[in-house]
This record gives sequence, C-alpha cells and structure tokens, in this order.
Amino acid sequence: MAFEVVMPRLGWSMKVGSLVEWYKKDGEFVQEGEILFTAEGEKAIQEVEALESGILRIPPDSPQPGKEISVGTVLAYLVQPDEPAPFETAAPPPPATSVEQPAIVVPPSSTSGSPSRGARRERPASKPAVSPRARRLAAELGIDWTALQGSGRTGRIVERDVRQAAQEGEKEKEAKVKVSPVARRMAEAAGIDLAELAAQKAGEKIKREDVEAVIAAREAAAAPPPPTPPVGQAVPVTHIRRLIAQRMVESAHTTAPLTLTTEADATELVALRERLKATLGPRGKVVPTYNDLIVKLTGLALQEHPLLNASWKDGEIVILADINIGTAVDTAAGLLVPVIRDVPAKSIQQIAEEARALAEKARARQLAPDDMQGGTFTITNLGTYNVDAFTPIINLPECAILGVGRIVSRPAVWNDEVVPRKMVALSLTFDHRVVDGGPAARFLNTVREYVEQPYLWLVA
Amino acid sequence: MRELTFVEAAREGLAEEMEKDPTIFVVGEGVGARGGNFNTTTGLYALYGPERLRDTPISERGFTTLCTGAAMAGARPVVDWMFLDFGVDAMGDLIHQTAMIQWMSGGRLKMPVLLRGCIGALGSAAAHHSGNYYPLFMHIPGFRVVVPTTPYDAKGLIKTAIRSDDPVLFLEHRGVLTNKGPVPEEEYLIPFGEAAIVHEGNDVTIVAIAYMVNHALKVSEQLADEGVSAEVIDPRTLVPLDIDTILESVHKTGRLLIVDEDFAPCGAGAEITAQVVDRAFDDLDAPIRRLNGASTPSPYSLPLEAAVLPNPATIAQAVRDLLME
Repeated sequence: MAFEVVMPRLGWSMKVGSLVEWYKKDGEFVQEGEILFTAEGEKAIQEVEALESGILRIPPDSPQPGKEISVGTVLAYLVQPDEPAPFETAAPPPPATSVEQPAIVVPPSSTSGSPSRGARRERPASKPAVSPRARRLAAELGIDWTALQGSGRTGRIVERDVRQAAQEGEKEKEAKVKVSPVARRMAEAAGIDLAELAAQKAGEKIKREDVEAVIAAREAAAAPPPPTPPVGQAVPVTHIRRLIAQRMVESAHTTAPLTLTTEADATELVALRERLKATLGPRGKVVPTYNDLIVKLTGLALQEHPLLNASWKDGEIVILADINIGTAVDTAAGLLVPVIRDVPAKSIQQIAEEARALAEKARARQLAPDDMQGGTFTITNLGTYNVDAFTPIINLPECAILGVGRIVSRPAVWNDEVVPRKMVALSLTFDHRVVDGGPAARFLNTVREYVEQPYLWLVA
Repeated sequence: MRELTFVEAAREGLAEEMEKDPTIFVVGEGVGARGGNFNTTTGLYALYGPERLRDTPISERGFTTLCTGAAMAGARPVVDWMFLDFGVDAMGDLIHQTAMIQWMSGGRLKMPVLLRGCIGALGSAAAHHSGNYYPLFMHIPGFRVVVPTTPYDAKGLIKTAIRSDDPVLFLEHRGVLTNKGPVPEEEYLIPFGEAAIVHEGNDVTIVAIAYMVNHALKVSEQLADEGVSAEVIDPRTLVPLDIDTILESVHKTGRLLIVDEDFAPCGAGAEITAQVVDRAFDDLDAPIRRLNGASTPSPYSLPLEAAVLPNPATIAQAVRDLLME
C-alpha cells in the first residue's frame, strides 16, 4: 500500500501552509524517521519526518515549494519496491471510440467468444476477483478465498477453485493425522485439535499418552499467573484487554452497584461433592466442581427471584425468560465469561460437562462469540485464590453477579456449640436501578440456604 | 405416439378450439381457401367457410384493430399476420387499445384476441420478414408472449392462448415450423409461465429462445462429448416468464448463457439477466453471457445473414468461453 505524505498541521489552528524544500528526491529510498521535507506554518519552519519507510514518489502535479496549500494535501507517496505509485496506476482516460460507437453487437465469430462482452472493465491487479458463488461457498466451507489462485480466465476465483482448496485441505488433514481410537475420543472430549498435535509429531501415530500430555500441559499452563510485564514499559493492550476495560468502565459508570455479603455453611455442600466424587469418579464421569454446583443452585434461586434475572434496557426493566449463567474464567489473555444456557433445565452432570468443555475452550482461546453471549447472570469464583468476600463488577447488561469466596474450615456455632464448619463467603453485587436491597437480600438468602441444605434442590 | 410437425400441431389446436367455440374466427391475408402462407389454416376453410376464415386485403392496421373491436364485442378473433413484421404496422392501436382496453374499461371488457405471426431470420428473407420483436410486446403491460418450439408445445399453448381473455402474441419462428415431434391424440393444454427443461445438465445453463432451442439442443449433445454437461431451458412463454425454473438451474450450475436471435439491447436476455442477478447473485460463478443476433437489419445475402445469427458453432464457443470465466 502506498503511504501518503501530506501537508502536516504544525499548530492547532493551522489550516494552510507551504512546502519549503524537499530533502529527498523522487525515487529515493527513505527510512522511517528521516527528514523528508520542511514545511512552513504560521509561526515557524519545521522539519517533517517520514512516518514510514519506502521509496519517495513525488507526482508531477505535486504542489510547488512556496505555494500555499491546505493541511492534508497529498504531497507525495512512499511506496514499496516494485509497487507503482498511485498516480502511475490511475485509470487511463476511456478510449474516445467508446462514446461514439453505438452498442452494435459484432457478428459472432467462432473463436472470439461472446460478442456481448465488449470492452470489459479490468479490476486493479492487487485485489483478487472472486465470483459471488465462490465467495459464498468459501464462507460455507470456512475457506479463506483471498489466499487462493483463481482459475478463471481473468484470474477470477470461481467455485471449482474453492472446492479444490476444500478437498486439498481435507486430504492434508487426513494424510497428516494418524491417531488411535482412544486418543481421538479423548482429544475430541477435551477439544484438542488433532491436526495441530499431528503437526508436532510429524508422521507418527498419536496415542493416548500424547493427548494426555497435551491436557496436562494445558492445565499446567492455565495454572501459573501470566508473566509480569517489564516494569516501566507500556504493555501493549490486546483486543480482549481493551474490551474488558471498556465493559468494566461502562458497568462502573452506568450501574448503581451495591454489594451484599453473607457467609454460608458449606459443610453439606462439601459432603455432597465428596460423595459425588466417590461415586462418579470411578465410573469415569465428570465430577462436578463447586462452581458447577453453585451454578446449578444459583439457577434454581434465580427461578424463585426473577428480578435478579433481569436487565436494564433503554430505561426499562426487562425480566428475562431464560436463565443463562456465565462463569468468569481467568485465562492468560484475560477474563472470559463462557455461558451455560438454560441452567434450571440441565442436570448437574450436564452442567459439569458443559462447563468443563467451555473452560477448556476458553483457555485454548477457542471460544466462539456465541459461547459468551446471552448470559443473564454471572458467577465469579475467587475461592481458589483464598479470597473471601469481594465486590464483583456487574457484567452488563445483566443485573447482578455473585462472587464466591473460598471454602474454608472456621469455628462456627452449630447446635449451640462452637465446632469447625466449612464456611464460604458469598458476595452479591446488584444494580440498584433494577432491583432494591430487599429482593436482592432475599435472593442471596435463598442462595445461602441452597448452599447449606443441598437437599432443597431436589424439591426446588 | 403419432408425430406431427409444428404447423400441423398448432393447426390441430386451432381447429379443436374452433370446433368447440363458434365465436372463434381467423382473419388474415390468404387464410381462406389458400390455407395460410405457412399452412396455418390449411383445410379449415372447407370446415368453417369464409365467415370464419376471412381473407383480408393488405391492411394490417385495419384488420388487427377490427379484431380488437370484435374481441371487445365478445368474439375470440385470431389475427394471422403471416409475419410479425407486418403486425408492427398496427402497433399504435395494439398498444393503446388492444393492450389497454381492459384497464380503460375498468375490467368490464375482455380482450381475447390471438395475434400470431412468424418470426426470425431464415433463408434470405431480409430485413422486413425476419424480425423477432417480442421484446416490444414484453415491455407493454397486458400482452402475453408465447414462443413455442415443439409440436407438442405448439398445440398445448395455442389452445391456452385462444382461451385466454388477454391478448396473446403467438410467435412461430420459421425455423421451428418443420420441427417434428410426438403429439397425443387426447386433449391437453399447457399453462403459460412454465418453462421446459429440454436437456438436463450441471455445468452451465443455456436459456434459448424460439429457434435457438434447436441449436442449443444440438450444442448440448455435442458438448456432452467434450464432457460438458449443459442444461437447456426453453422458456416457452416470455410473458409470463418462468424465472423460477431458470433460477433453480442457475443455482445448480452457477453459469448462464442466454441465446436469443433477437437484438441484444433491452431484449429478452437483458430482462432475464436482470432478474437472475437480482434474485440469485450469489449463485453466479461467472458473468451472465448473452449471445444475440447482431444489432442490424437482417441482410438479404445468405452468407451475411448467416454471419449475423447465432449458430451451433458460436453457441458452443460461447459455452466454452463461459466455462473458462
């Protein structure tokens, strides 16, 4: 792409200025940062640097030094070697004959093709042409057509090119991946891309151990904190980071957040999980995490308190029909919130399986936008970091977010005796625009009850 | 099944309708004892006499407009122009009266007139006897435009045309008059607006109009030997146009060639192209191509006449070019 060199604005109020002198000649290679020319504004003459490297191309009609020109006027271009400057590639004037000639169709000859073609507009060479059909097919098959070589007469990418690319892609994948049935099943369950794994083990068959190693590596990679950025240096802001920042600020600025905390006796919840572990583990089933259990019980509590499953939209409160609960997942890239849909309708086992798959996808950065949309409530769990109560930020446009602290043995009064009990702190931040403290507290209390007496879920 | 020529089949359809409905009569030059220049009425004079097979002087505007009046009065006239070129003489009344009277009368009057004539360049007929002109009528609201190619279609469509309460252009390309084909003995009608897929294929769609269907069929067989599978569609009626059949075919093939002997500008092919681009843009794998007769009065010289018309060789080449796109 040719980079435009323009008349710069040298002061805030400057509207016009003039070119004083070129420091480089037409056709000369210029490094980024080298002085290109001097320009005169209202107050001073200033040197202007090249903002890109490239070959300086000054069009013949570029403003002459000394002439007053407006800010932003294109003075020249910086182009890459072999790249023509824009003024060289500009369309030639249309041939004069095209206007005078009426649309007489020439008699068809046997070799010149369709007579109605006439003079066809040629496309700029830099953009590959693609037929509408090929483009649609490429989208359907997930093929990047911009990388294809078109076989059409004018180099246009047509359907056959896309089909061929798809076929080759399939063949490549098949040729590459040799995998044992067990390994394939495990990889599929864990959402591991076999083609990627095969690339690392060129030619060798992928076995169960290989997949297990990847899963272990993933878990290990997920555990350590992200590397600390060097002190004093600007950390490049990733797209995810920017998005998180934007959403958090928006939430902080537009909601009326209030956080309620309570402590629940999780002894029964812990017992339940231990039993599930003992029963499901040996059967090879996914054992629900505390988080999965809390997702389930929160879903049930939301059913009873629909005001908390609502959103503030265009000045109105909308109570949502579906209960879709997002769970915050800490990844190296940043916070992601995959969503489990229709929680009350799902068994704990289903939720556990789904949550596990989503968390894997989140860590592997393979979450689809759909996986993260449509949430109506969010749960964030900092228990693994030994946090108790905290003040989570509402995930807009939802109305509330539940923070779950660590489960820890504490002295508690149980049947009038001080005994060690498993305690957990619950922090509910809600948007006071949507719901008042009373209903929110009642909801939190239901959550607490469900934590303390899991058998209630059976009758919820 | 018995085989008839196109002319015989169309005549049989006309005779069957005349037998049923005494308000049907034919008007034209030489349609009486002579049986019509192209045998369109041969034998009918003996059956129905001079009252219903009415010879006229050379006065197209007069007898065409007369029939428009007769249709307003409740008859079902058949105007036999011999050549569509001659019917153009009546264009003023055709547009203003024949096509519009149903609207102008608020629907109280019907216009059941059949306007028939030969079209197309063939055998040195020159500029005044080779016109196709169907786009003129496609353009005007009110006309139905029928361009049959097979004996079977000729009979089924002329019967529908005679029974239509709208003015119908029944246009017979001279190249198809001698086409032979099976025609059942029992009565049948073919509704307007149903295209025929006359050759099935997967690689390219050829919409051919009138005599061009003959060529396109030949080409599709020839191309099959080259491994090209061409689908040939005969629209049969241009108004109403069965665009859905064309769209389905284009959905399958992604490539469309329209072969039309008539001039290209503002022609039937332009209309089909516009509709396909509008409704099936994403099905297209290549630009739509039109192969038309040259935009010039038809030459008298046989070699020149051949040079301005699409023929199997140019159609085959156009298909090959289109597949290269």
